[in-house]
Amino acid sequence: MPLVKRNIDPRHLCHTALPRGIKNELECVTNISLANIIRQLSSLSKYAEDIFGELFNEAHSFSFRVNSLQERVDRLSVSVTQLDPKEEELSLQDITMRKAFRSSTIQDQQLFDRKTLPIPLQETYDVCEQPPPLNILTPYRDDGKEGLKFYTNPSYFFDLWKEKMLQDTEDKRKEKRKQKKNLDRPHEPEKVPRAPHDRRREWQKLAQGPELAEDDANLLHKHIEVANGPASHFETRPQTYVDHMDGSYSLSALPFSQMSELLTRAEERVLVRPHEPPPPPPMHGAGDVKPIPTCISSATGLIENRPQSPATGRTPVFVSPTPPPPPPPLPSALSTSSLRASMTSTPPPPVPPPPPPPATALQAPAVPPPPAPLQIAPGVLHPAPPPIAPPLVQPSPPVARAAPVCETVPVHPLPQGEVQGLPPPPPPPPLPPPGIRPSSPVTVAALAHPPSGLHPTPSTAPGPHAPLMPPSPPSQVVPASEPKRHPSTLPVISDARSVLLEAIRKGIQLRKVEEQREQEAKHERIENDVATILSRRIAVEYSDSEDDSEFDEVDWLE
Amino acid sequence: MAGQEDPVQREIHQDWANREYIELITSSIKKIADFLNLFDMSCRSRLATLNEKLTALERRIEYIEARVTKGETLT
Repeated sequence: MPLVKRNIDPRHLCHTALPRGIKNELECVTNISLANIIRQLSSLSKYAEDIFGELFNEAHSFSFRVNSLQERVDRLSVSVTQLDPKEEELSLQDITMRKAFRSSTIQDQQLFDRKTLPIPLQETYDVCEQPPPLNILTPYRDDGKEGLKFYTNPSYFFDLWKEKMLQDTEDKRKEKRKQKKNLDRPHEPEKVPRAPHDRRREWQKLAQGPELAEDDANLLHKHIEVANGPASHFETRPQTYVDHMDGSYSLSALPFSQMSELLTRAEERVLVRPHEPPPPPPMHGAGDVKPIPTCISSATGLIENRPQSPATGRTPVFVSPTPPPPPPPLPSALSTSSLRASMTSTPPPPVPPPPPPPATALQAPAVPPPPAPLQIAPGVLHPAPPPIAPPLVQPSPPVARAAPVCETVPVHPLPQGEVQGLPPPPPPPPLPPPGIRPSSPVTVAALAHPPSGLHPTPSTAPGPHAPLMPPSPPSQVVPASEPKRHPSTLPVISDARSVLLEAIRKGIQLRKVEEQREQEAKHERIENDVATILSRRIAVEYSDSEDDSEFDEVDWLE
Repeated sequence: MAGQEDPVQREIHQDWANREYIELITSSIKKIADFLNLFDMSCRSRLATLNEKLTALERRIEYIEARVTKGETLT
């Protein structure tokens, strides 16, 4: 819709009410009309002056440009006449060393900004009603934004576009970095998709003992039932849970040497992982790779201390991934027991067993035989994690760090498909043995993020004490029982650990803050230059190599 | 009767004359306004053409300067 730029003011000449008590009305009307004509002429002259003023300003700027051009042409003509073809030196250095010619491409930007509004339109705008004075509330705001911005923000769309462009450039850069990394290590993801079902069946058989082991066909059917049968909100959980376990299984099948390799690579990322935002779905496969090696590290520590497998005669390879195996055998074990009734208790039991094994592993010197685990969860057919876990004399810090992190893995699938029926499970997992206490609050904090709507404040103090009472909690679904564990058995050690914990926490928090500061600084540096933003984005998109300095060289005038 | 009509008729005649006069004036005001708009538009288009030519000239001069000047090295 075309907007009227200049409106001549008295629009209607004689649409006014006539004053009373006038005898000659026609004359009156005539006089009124003539007076309005004069007013119209005055506004016309004002607009004419405005039009000529704008045209004059433009022409004036052109005159400057023309003059400067004229001077340049004169200089050039002089220098050209002075050129002598004989004098010209053609050295290779000159050709290569000379700065590449880049013409100054000035683009018109910010055309419809408030500042470029023509004067007559600005006057029309001023006649309009002002927006409510919300800016008086600005000093009372916490986040420092202007109050009026929430009512009407003229720069809203530009800011939106700018953010999107910057985000796109960052994404492109990250993609390129990932591609480079993928080129370096093409084999890692290939290891993930392995035959997942074989291991599960093995665990089941070993868990239930030779007498109770079912046929493979029956197992598969029941497992599929478990995954697909229950209520909708349970569906996602067991499936994601199972999927994660599949990933863990696949890696657990790796030989020891490869596992250690993965360990060394993954360890550097271990600490960062708890603090990433909810890991993106495509990263699941890779995400499983990282924490699983850490679990394996703790398990390998177990292996080293007790090379002999327990009385059940399991292979050392089977022994190594202690934490991951218990959860998967549990779902399958549940499939054998009553499904519906135990469905509610399904989530809690799978998770508590992992902590109990490491707990008992690190504490009890004597490993109970396989029948003992059955005592832990009488209603649930247990795999034999406790018997498997031999005692660890002293948990080394890397192992300590690794174990709690690995425990976050079995918990992660749970919170992702989270429902209210799972308040207890998350607290148990972060309750590793007291020996691993200092790092456990880290995982507790990490877990606090995914299970947002969960039981609040998994207190760190009572947390570590929980694993000391593994038998009772697993079968119960009592959130109240979780926080209040038995009295602290290791107060002296806890002081030293808490110091370490604080240091770790600060380190991770510092990293976060640094990242934030970097981002803020970047945002400040970025000007409102459309051309620059666009050029950066295009440069990143089309550049084959990571030349981040490309656009820095270009001088953007205007 | 004629006496009554005369002053009224005269008034009406006068009124018509006045209105015609006013109409003349207002139509000329409109012509002036149209002229101003047309002038504005044509001026802007000519200035825009000038701008284009100037920009092209400036770029050519930059190029020629870069070609002609010696001893320019990488910054």
